[in-house]
Amino acid sequence: MRRVQIPLLAVAAAALGLLPFLRHARNRLLSGQPIDSYVSFGLASPLWTVGFALGLGLLVLPLFRPGALTRWTSLLGAGIALAAAAAIGANAAAHLAAAGSPAARTSLGSGAWLFAATLLLLASDTARRLRFGLAGLVPVFAPLALLLALGTLAPLSLLREYAVQHDAFRAAFGQHVALVLGALGPALLIGVPLGVAAQRWAALRRVAFPVLNLIQTIPSIALFGLLIGPLAWLGTMIPGVSGIGTVPAILALVLYSLLPIVRNTVEGLDGVPRGVRTAARAMGMSPAQTFLQVDATLALPVLLSGLRVTAVQAVGLAAVSALIGAGGLGAIIFQGLFANALDLVILGALPVIALAVAADLVFRLLTAWSRAALGGAV
Amino acid sequence: MAFLTRRTVLGAATAAALAPRADAAAPVKVGSKLDTEAALLGTIVLQVLKAGGIPTESRLRLGPTKILRAAILSGDVDLYPEYTGNGAFFFNQESNPVWKNVTQGYDLVRRLDADANRLAWLPPAPANNTWGIAVNGDAATREKLSSMEDFARWAKAGGAKLVASAEFVESPAALPAFQAAYGFKLAADQLVILAGGDTAATERAAAEGISGVNAAMAYGTDGAIAALDLRLMDDIKHAQMVYEPSPVVRQAALDANPSIPGLLAPAFAALDGATLRTLNGRIAVDGQDVAAVASAWLKEKGLLK
Amino acid sequence: MITLDHVTRRYQGFSALEDVTLTVADGEILVLIGASGSGKSTLLQLINRLQDPSSGTVRVDGEDIAGIAPEQLRRRMGYVIQGGGLFPHWTVARNIATVPRLLGWDRARIDARVTELLDLLRLDATRLRNAYPHMLSGGQQQRVGVARALAAGPSILLMDEPFGALDPVTRAELQAEIRRIHTETGCTIVFVTHDMDEALGLATRIAVIDRGRLVQLGTPLELLTRPATDQVAHFIGTTDRGLKLLAVQRVGDRVRPGETTPGEPVSAEISLSSALSAMVTRSQDRLPVSDPAGAPLGTIHLADLLGP
Repeated sequence: MRRVQIPLLAVAAAALGLLPFLRHARNRLLSGQPIDSYVSFGLASPLWTVGFALGLGLLVLPLFRPGALTRWTSLLGAGIALAAAAAIGANAAAHLAAAGSPAARTSLGSGAWLFAATLLLLASDTARRLRFGLAGLVPVFAPLALLLALGTLAPLSLLREYAVQHDAFRAAFGQHVALVLGALGPALLIGVPLGVAAQRWAALRRVAFPVLNLIQTIPSIALFGLLIGPLAWLGTMIPGVSGIGTVPAILALVLYSLLPIVRNTVEGLDGVPRGVRTAARAMGMSPAQTFLQVDATLALPVLLSGLRVTAVQAVGLAAVSALIGAGGLGAIIFQGLFANALDLVILGALPVIALAVAADLVFRLLTAWSRAALGGAV
Repeated sequence: MAFLTRRTVLGAATAAALAPRADAAAPVKVGSKLDTEAALLGTIVLQVLKAGGIPTESRLRLGPTKILRAAILSGDVDLYPEYTGNGAFFFNQESNPVWKNVTQGYDLVRRLDADANRLAWLPPAPANNTWGIAVNGDAATREKLSSMEDFARWAKAGGAKLVASAEFVESPAALPAFQAAYGFKLAADQLVILAGGDTAATERAAAEGISGVNAAMAYGTDGAIAALDLRLMDDIKHAQMVYEPSPVVRQAALDANPSIPGLLAPAFAALDGATLRTLNGRIAVDGQDVAAVASAWLKEKGLLK
Repeated sequence: MITLDHVTRRYQGFSALEDVTLTVADGEILVLIGASGSGKSTLLQLINRLQDPSSGTVRVDGEDIAGIAPEQLRRRMGYVIQGGGLFPHWTVARNIATVPRLLGWDRARIDARVTELLDLLRLDATRLRNAYPHMLSGGQQQRVGVARALAAGPSILLMDEPFGALDPVTRAELQAEIRRIHTETGCTIVFVTHDMDEALGLATRIAVIDRGRLVQLGTPLELLTRPATDQVAHFIGTTDRGLKLLAVQRVGDRVRPGETTPGEPVSAEISLSSALSAMVTRSQDRLPVSDPAGAPLGTIHLADLLGP
């Protein structure tokens, strides 16, 4: 444990000490003046500094007294330190805003972000050593969530962007999730039967994989561009189909999702021992019963693992689809890029990362559960 | 009476329910490009039309120019604000000098699009959002720069350092047109070239003096110019094409909603360059909400209750 | 009774079985033996329609099985493969319950039957009932495989090289189990193997298959004393033929009745080779013989081992 914790703590300290904690700019577009942590802590209420110290103390406690309890409190300490640091930033921002013009913005600097990143790494390392480490998400993020709900963090530039973009953000988030789910459904409906067929007929396998691999290599923006023409032509005949918007985005996402799903279906079915299939038929199970009760059940964990890859990939790709008018969190990211407002970019990017991590976790849990349900046989 | 059986009554009711009703107009789909000004203009259109009792559907921030053009041609969008000068690219007439004239350019694109695509270009706002060069405020004051002629003089003296996109530097309609009209040529060490066409980045660079630049590629109605204390050089010889924002509407949508031109005309007429710059500034620099800025301005002008 | 009538099985130009005719009598253990690829497994699979003949008829209890739906047919027969072929994601109990569940038995009846079979196969019911196959040893897995095949009480048991992957000790144990189960249930067993010793030890009759053809069909003694072709003789093996002959005959066939000899008696049921082994161990040239109940029968002399 020390091998990982010590260097990470060193990086966290360096981030706080050497890199700017905050940046203060006259307006939204300028990069602003760096403000180091010493000044920031000084501008903020001492209460937060105490909380910060307490959090850090709990965080490093396991180094001196290892054990499950100190590990849980370490997670809580990370959460408190994160929240306190954010609150200090917000406090300082409020002071600076009072002194400057209404257009002035204070945003978190590279030091604050790096500090937060190392803290999260430390926490995840600690959580890994605990039995229900996944529940560690609660102590780490609850204090931050509480501050967000109370509005303590409102003076920060990131939150001010959110305040303005509130409705657009909600809509974009919903669109993003809808795009991902809307693509996973058809991808499963097409990919799983295709995988089953490919596993059975070698000729199909020889054709399908090269084609799917080729599709994967096409850059997403290029694929969107390629789809505009044919879909627009199709749209003249079928209402609701058009070259831009949700339809091409979902179509492209489905195409990209096919390879992992087909590949994992084939792999999962390949993993069924031959004797087991023969035994099932010899017992008198019909082909359908054999497939459902034996093949499909045994292949399920591998398929779920493939779905994990698919879902995470889809979350990322859906961000690009904003470029063809499909909406989603990508619209916020690109808006920020065009307006050169970096906090807007972060406002769009953080939820995408969170969604990707959430999708990964959900499917990891599902895969592990399915393996356990099969008695650890697969 | 035999013919009034249940089946015929049911059939007639169903037919009546399913038949397209000529009096209920389909909502007008209003789109816009991704950038700040496009979103502002699109929002103004939406609010004005809604106040005028026309049902609308928002498709703002749909994508870049190419996407919007494809959308309006295919009917995915009924109306979006486009620049008169872009007609040169839609109809492959980049070298036609008529685009540098305010009225002639508008007339040409109006005629071309009406004939070829049944698209109507409504009267544009008197704001020229064309390419320009904005100089760092301190440098402009020090060197007494206010027009492109002054800039040319300064550039020849070796004082200027411009940051621009590759497209701006290479496109015959952009920097080369300036250089030809005003008789100057920027040397390689007087140029910093960025990959993308983001004027927010170039303007920030000129304002902060990043990499020693003191002049930036800019658009005529950029909101950041005033906020960053930059000075836009006046194009007195009209070297650039004119880009005035005009609502482009599908003729079919116009026929269904003939009140659209009357509603939009006063709003667009009031959007001159200075106004547009101020409004853009409130959104891009102050970070205010587009809808709030639009409705506040419309109310100020008495175009919204 | 199982009848194969001029059965041929060809696919993709390759002839797996060519004009095979044989009958399996009720209650006998018929061992199909041959080299790898000789077609013996194919023959076995014709009986439960895992494969269908290209020409010829297969009849079970007089009925042409081509007219019976495969699933229905297979649920009436037990099938055991090498390694057991247990479903890895189901417990031992669930595995054994496979066919009863397909037949729609109720829970109580299934549970009782599972316990009965675990006992029959000498498996610890309480410990292993809810275990998963990967937790069991190879021998245990094979026992569960046999239990699963017997679950619905079939009258026909098909076994395809079931003990091939086991060590010799376990293999001997399981062979003994099969003999015991055969005696207790009286089912008909068709058993495929390439191991002649296994065949000689288990079979009522042996069918030698070579390159898709039936070369000889007879009792172990017939094969040993009158091999039909050189191939069969070669298959039986030229070394230890004498010991194999001793192994397939019983003491009871050669005992001299009435004669008494001191010492611990051997059962009339043991093989002549076991008797020889006992004589060597005791350094005696004669042994007292008793019947299975323990009553004295007579004596067997070393000379009696050499033939009638």
